Amino acid sequence: MNLKSTYSEQELVALLQERNEKAFGYLYDNYSGAIFGIINSIVTDKDIANDVLQNVFINIWRKIESYDASKGRLFTWMLNIARNASIDEIRSKGFRQSQKNQSLNDNVDFPGASIGPVTEDVGLKKVLANLKSEWRVLVDMSYFQGFTHEEISKILDIPLGTVKTRIRSALSQLRTMIQP
Amino acid sequence: MNTQEYISSGIVESYVLGLASEEERREFEKMCNQHPEVLAARNAFEIALENQAMQNAIAPSADIKNKIFDTISSSAKIVSIAEAPVKKINWFKYAAVASVILLAGSLLWNVSLMNKNQDLKNNYESSVAKLSELEKDFNVLQQNPNVKMASMKGMEASPKSFATVYWDTTSHDVYLLMNNLPKPASDKQYQLWAFLDGQPIDMGLIEISDKPLQLYQLKKAQAAQAFAITLENKGRPDVSKPEGTVYVLGNL
Repeated sequence: MNLKSTYSEQELVALLQERNEKAFGYLYDNYSGAIFGIINSIVTDKDIANDVLQNVFINIWRKIESYDASKGRLFTWMLNIARNASIDEIRSKGFRQSQKNQSLNDNVDFPGASIGPVTEDVGLKKVLANLKSEWRVLVDMSYFQGFTHEEISKILDIPLGTVKTRIRSALSQLRTMIQP
Repeated sequence: MNTQEYISSGIVESYVLGLASEEERREFEKMCNQHPEVLAARNAFEIALENQAMQNAIAPSADIKNKIFDTISSSAKIVSIAEAPVKKINWFKYAAVASVILLAGSLLWNVSLMNKNQDLKNNYESSVAKLSELEKDFNVLQQNPNVKMASMKGMEASPKSFATVYWDTTSHDVYLLMNNLPKPASDKQYQLWAFLDGQPIDMGLIEISDKPLQLYQLKKAQAAQAFAITLENKGRPDVSKPEGTVYVLGNL
């Protein structure tokens, strides 16, 4: 019996690319919580977040061939799939309508405002809370809401160059905050 | 910008978090290849990000894993067929073999068709020859002023039936043409009768031939006013008296 409890990342990727379901089960057991945390920081509705997680792992299984280890770690690759899927979800018509029905008092016109005194910040968002507010808004809009630099520049009425340099500064700050 | 400045510019985080533009991504990947310290910085941030995410993991609904495995297990089979190049090659091999077999089969079939065709041609030619013989017979019968003809019409048992008797008044030969009579059951048999003064005279049992328009020569009739065909049981002891049903009947 070959019941391995841990895999190196290389082994795991090789097995996944062979469509090994046991390895995929291991991947899910080890990473679904972390991935779900990221999804939750973007998609606040729990049921929808679960649906997104399901699609993310199905996509990981289907797209594992396109994972290129030279461009980053497996987790980074999965994280980006999760982020993109989450942003696609909050930008979908159905999601926007369900959010409107839930809370009409939200500042819909100013997405940056949602960063305010939020009670349930988790994960990266919690780290984000330690950033200067002018940076925080930019990172939130850019990373958690998927706005392009151009869109942020228009929405916040800040020059594009300033948006870029501030996001870069904020991100480099982020690194020092999450690295021990 | 030196390498350290490049690393601390935020590009590492931008790249890893998926926020870099396509141009920035290409440049960063090039830098990673050329400068190990850039690659090391990327790797360090990735690990930090992963650790951070692991510490902030949230348990998803318990049923999600099963839902995912239900989906991938059913789609895995499709994938394995679609992505099996070896099988595709085999398929072509099989197709090639199959086409050779088909070709060989087709050739054999052609030969067999040619043979059949030849058989049919032979049959046709012999049929035509027989038919022309038959026509000669008919001509002889019909043009001979001594031959009398009796057209026998279908009776109640078989209204659509009819048959023709040619009787040579000089030679007393009797010929029967079964124009249209149903094929008898295996235990039945047709029998021709001549009627003279209301009395039936046995003209003979008819051994039905499969060939159409067969002309049967039966017993000689010295005299007759009418002819009839009955359907009789095979092998009855006394064939001199009709017992079965009359199928056709006609006067001379």
